[in-house]
Amino acid sequence: MDFDVVAHGIVAGSLYALVAVSFNILYRPTNVFNFAQGELVMLGAMIFASATSLAGMPWFAAFVATLVAVGLIGLVEERIAVAPILARSQTGTGWVITTLAVSLIISNLVGRFWGPDPILVKPPEPLSMEALDLGPSRISSYEIMLVIVTIVLVAIVESAYRTLKGKAVMAVAEDREAALLRGIDPGSLRRWSFFLGAAFAAMTGVLAAPILYASTSLGPDLLLKGFAAAAVGSIGNNRGALIAGYLIGVTEALGASLLSPGYQEAVIFIVVLTVLLLRPQGLFGSSTARTV
Amino acid sequence: MKAPGGPPLLSVRNLDAGYGHVRVLQNVSLSVDAGRIVALVGRNGAGKSTLLRTLSGLNRAASGEITFDGQNIAGLRPHAIVAAGLLHVAEGRRLFRRQSVADNIELGRYGLRLGAEQHRQRMDRIHELFPVLQEKKDLPAGGLSGGQQQMLAIAQAMMREPKLLMLDEPSLGLAPVLVDQVLSAILTLRAQRVAILLVEQMVERALEIADEACVMQNGRMIASGPANEIATGDALRAAFMGDHGAPGHLQS
Ligand SMILES: Nc1ncnc2c1ncn2[C@@H]1O[C@H](COP(=O)(O)OP(=O)(O)O)[C@@H](O)[C@H]1O
Ligand SMILES: [Mg+2]
Repeated sequence: MDFDVVAHGIVAGSLYALVAVSFNILYRPTNVFNFAQGELVMLGAMIFASATSLAGMPWFAAFVATLVAVGLIGLVEERIAVAPILARSQTGTGWVITTLAVSLIISNLVGRFWGPDPILVKPPEPLSMEALDLGPSRISSYEIMLVIVTIVLVAIVESAYRTLKGKAVMAVAEDREAALLRGIDPGSLRRWSFFLGAAFAAMTGVLAAPILYASTSLGPDLLLKGFAAAAVGSIGNNRGALIAGYLIGVTEALGASLLSPGYQEAVIFIVVLTVLLLRPQGLFGSSTARTV
Repeated sequence: MKAPGGPPLLSVRNLDAGYGHVRVLQNVSLSVDAGRIVALVGRNGAGKSTLLRTLSGLNRAASGEITFDGQNIAGLRPHAIVAAGLLHVAEGRRLFRRQSVADNIELGRYGLRLGAEQHRQRMDRIHELFPVLQEKKDLPAGGLSGGQQQMLAIAQAMMREPKLLMLDEPSLGLAPVLVDQVLSAILTLRAQRVAILLVEQMVERALEIADEACVMQNGRMIASGPANEIATGDALRAAFMGDHGAPGHLQS
């Protein structure tokens, strides 16, 4: 097994894990899958790329502006595409259609605005995308940092669930009516989680941009693999998402190197389908996870 | 004990409500004074739980008035009604079974800003009333016995120091010694000036501790008055007649 292939699989897998975590942030208090999540990642990458590479904004300012902008788009999505459906019925599933519609709208508008050319985004100083000479692996300092940052982010998100607000989110996930009777307002938690879930998606886009380039075609690919990581890692389970992200990233990289590159997608979906057939609740599923 | 001449803490007038298009409550009126225990009795399916759910905002009132502590609460969302001081411990306790006992208690004060001293006082009051909750604070709530779960559900409500606490069948499925404990906790709460609206299948026990009582039948309120008068009145007998489960509760 080629160590370099595995290392790059872990880098890609970290990105899938981040997308999966952004799914989970939204799903836990709402039981809603936001199918626009992939396009929000793309939007994060594009806004950030334009702000830095084209408009010359400093890295950190552009980072914050991107997260807030996309977070607000998530909030708007919740208001127009999700809230009306859940107001009619808490168990309604019309959001499958409406969030897909939002995804198409974003993809269309962005395509019109930016065009198809990918934008090169440089990592923040002193990191670089140049391969380091680390013996068996030819991985860059930015990629190493991305893997570490991903682990830290998962830990931060998990610790957020240990705050009172986080416990309220889990309470709503377990029994919405019981949460209402304790003075918890699920509507407000839902708005927050759309804001934060969208901002997290945007952050994933910003982090992915130096590796994948910012391009309008980023969305569907990350949506699919991020969704696969969320499902394999058990919906709602962030540590599961991290490990499933690695699994999918490494499988993809190995598939591309052992077979011909054209087969890598097929290999991923064989692995994902096999896992889900054997364990529909995912690898790390408990009764916490509900299926759609 | 009754506040002379003051308006009742909770006043319900001509309430119609139900589930979607299914009408369950018809023309229900009820009032609860501050610091009193009111027992709400009636056979299964009479509409007691539906009434509590409507008061706490889970079900929508189709028509009628609900005034609580001088505020019109009909149509408010549940969290706003909780914030006004009207707490509802639902049928079956409805705890967060996967979270610890301590976390469940903390969730009871969600959205409330408590100073450290205030927080400690409320915890002390809870642990004094239910010492077992302190012993089991790290266990998941789902691992408690039925009686302990009922105590935990009441403890959650106590974190807010409610003005009115509505309890839906707190004795359901409890061993007799635990029923005694829960009923005596209710008396302690009354001594702390908490009003209680108590729905109970153990009719006789409920009427013993209650100040007032009201009787429901088929979604209507058929009698209300002092608990001792209701206990010996015809309405109670009528409400339970033909019900094969309930008469046992009425025998002395
Ligand atoms: N979710 C529901 N949807 C429709 N009807 C309901 C629902 N829950 C209860 N009911 C009906 O409302 C009536 C009153 O029920 P309920 O309030 O639970 O009675 P009680 O608590 O007095 O036993 C019953 O006829 C019952 O069938
Ligand atoms: Mg009932």
